[in-house]
Amino acid sequence: MNNIYIYNNNFISLLNLINILIINNTKPDNIKQIDYNPTLFDNLIKLNIDNNENIINIIIKNTSKNILKTMYYLYLSRDDNKELIIYYFYKNSLKYKDNIYSMRNLKCVSEALKISQYVSRENHKFKGFTRFKELKNNILYAEINPTNNIIYILAIHFKKRLSNEYFIIKDITRNIFSIYDKKDIYIVNGDNFRLYEESHKSDFIEDLWKEFYKTIGIESRKNNRCRMNFMPKKYWKYIVEMSDEI
Amino acid sequence: MELKEKLRILADSAKYDASCSSSGSKRSNDGGIGNAAFSGICHSFSSDGRCISLLKILMTNACIYDCKYCINRKSNNIKRAIFSPEEISSITINFYRRNYIEGLFLSSGIIKSPNYTMEKIIETVKLLRHKYKFNGYIHAKAIPGASEYLIKELGLLVDRLSANIEFTSNDSLKLLAPNKETKKAEDIMNYIKLSKSRKFVPAGQSTQMIIGATKETDYDIISKSENMYNNYKLKRVFYSAYISVNKDNLLPTLEVPPLRREHRLYQADWLLRFYNYKVNDLLDKNNPNFNILLDPKADWALRHLEEFPKEINKASYYDLLKVPGIGVKSAKRIILSRKHFKLDYNDLKKMGIVLKRAKYFITCNNKYFISENYFNKNFIKTNLILEDKETINNNISQLSLFNE
Ligand code: SF4
Repeated sequence: MNNIYIYNNNFISLLNLINILIINNTKPDNIKQIDYNPTLFDNLIKLNIDNNENIINIIIKNTSKNILKTMYYLYLSRDDNKELIIYYFYKNSLKYKDNIYSMRNLKCVSEALKISQYVSRENHKFKGFTRFKELKNNILYAEINPTNNIIYILAIHFKKRLSNEYFIIKDITRNIFSIYDKKDIYIVNGDNFRLYEESHKSDFIEDLWKEFYKTIGIESRKNNRCRMNFMPKKYWKYIVEMSDEI
Repeated sequence: MELKEKLRILADSAKYDASCSSSGSKRSNDGGIGNAAFSGICHSFSSDGRCISLLKILMTNACIYDCKYCINRKSNNIKRAIFSPEEISSITINFYRRNYIEGLFLSSGIIKSPNYTMEKIIETVKLLRHKYKFNGYIHAKAIPGASEYLIKELGLLVDRLSANIEFTSNDSLKLLAPNKETKKAEDIMNYIKLSKSRKFVPAGQSTQMIIGATKETDYDIISKSENMYNNYKLKRVFYSAYISVNKDNLLPTLEVPPLRREHRLYQADWLLRFYNYKVNDLLDKNNPNFNILLDPKADWALRHLEEFPKEINKASYYDLLKVPGIGVKSAKRIILSRKHFKLDYNDLKKMGIVLKRAKYFITCNNKYFISENYFNKNFIKTNLILEDKETINNNISQLSLFNE
């Protein structure tokens, strides 16, 4: 039987669980969210874990801020085994502290860093690829389709530069929204939130941008493969100047 | 004229400038709109695969000069347009709010005089910074020949300033751009370098050279770059493959722009800035042009095969950097990791180090990747050329967008 430990679909709960497992010297076969569908060979174990946010300080004290950040980025990834990867990454970090970043020859470290960097890189891409349109009441609204769950860290980026704007970003794949009200960022599930506002039908600024985009490419240097490398087609649908080309 | 048409004309005439980088500035948002991301952000990629980061436009393409290589020269019969400062500011802000761009790259044809042109550019940037409280990235062209007090004023408002040197020698420049002088561009570079204020051009200065319009060799060009990096602390030199836009008997007629050559120059430039190479390591008077089939680092390595193979567990940082296929990041990873472990080929793979090219030039624990009999010039060269062909088509403009 596989011993699967269950946590409450949030990062704090996961950290608390991992902490308990390590203190008790328990080696999990896997760690899964509460809505996990067990197979015949799974033995689900639900420990009594609290949701104490103080765990953040404990993790930092035992390792470092950087390591906590890596764990958080891993948590945001789409990887099926991310919980177990976080567990092993943390376990090794207790021993090696920040030296862990130069231990890529350990498989669990190289895997962890590869995935967290993927999240970070995708977030960076969307700092560029996110396209807002203006809703009728001046709210900026964007839809994105990232592979990883970056909507919160992305909103932090926009909060700094668009601090005087209301904005909403929707993750189409996960049906979640991040909402900024000129003060704080809220993450809201699409089941509990509906957007009634419409955008202006014809958008002059959008037209200007498309015109600029068309003009700026140099015909005699055309290189579609290179463009695709940098801006993969899977993102095009929500990048307004590209959506016509699909 | 409609705004859309103006934008088309003035983006079209600005697109030949290679620079679109938005990196190097940490300007923060104090109650207005926008900030700058130090590493720069690409917002889109144009059909030629180049990064679009800034709204790159000219204020006007109605230029009083007649540079032979330029689409906007006075003697060309093309549609002319001019933006007002208000129009530029409003497009910039509206594009920025929707996250189309990181900011503005404003250049201009010469209106009336260099000073008048600079004043117009300053007026625009002031409007953006003061009225619209815009803290995003601004790159402006410093117009050679403009007075120092104007350069000073503009430099305090923007993130980056640049003056294009265009060609390595004043003779070439005079021939093709009768109103220009190399010295005027270098005066600006020197002025920017000497400024001590941290608020002055915080993202540093850059310049650009046109490749393939004149007889200059790669050696001339890259020597000029080295010289400018040393003398003016430039952040970047951009290389722009010459595109035949005008017919002129002083200019070559090129069917296609020399993109390969441009690519090699970017690679060599990279070696100068981050890998501790000197121009004289790479080229000399008898061997003045880069090998089109091989990148400059591999070419160098093959000419110095006696220095290889390098032992991964022992070689110094700069020796590792000499290995084709090992870059700054990989070299650092190797140095850090081997403190804890002895590295073998498998470790390198796990560490994300690409061995495709490197394997010919290294040993791991004194082992070569195949029989050592293969460690010879012809074998390695043939393999590298094959691999280079594959990658070059994919990434030809990649080097021009690497962050600083
Ligand atoms: S100064 Fe020369 S290069 Fe610049 S716009 Fe005028 S004609 Fe073109």
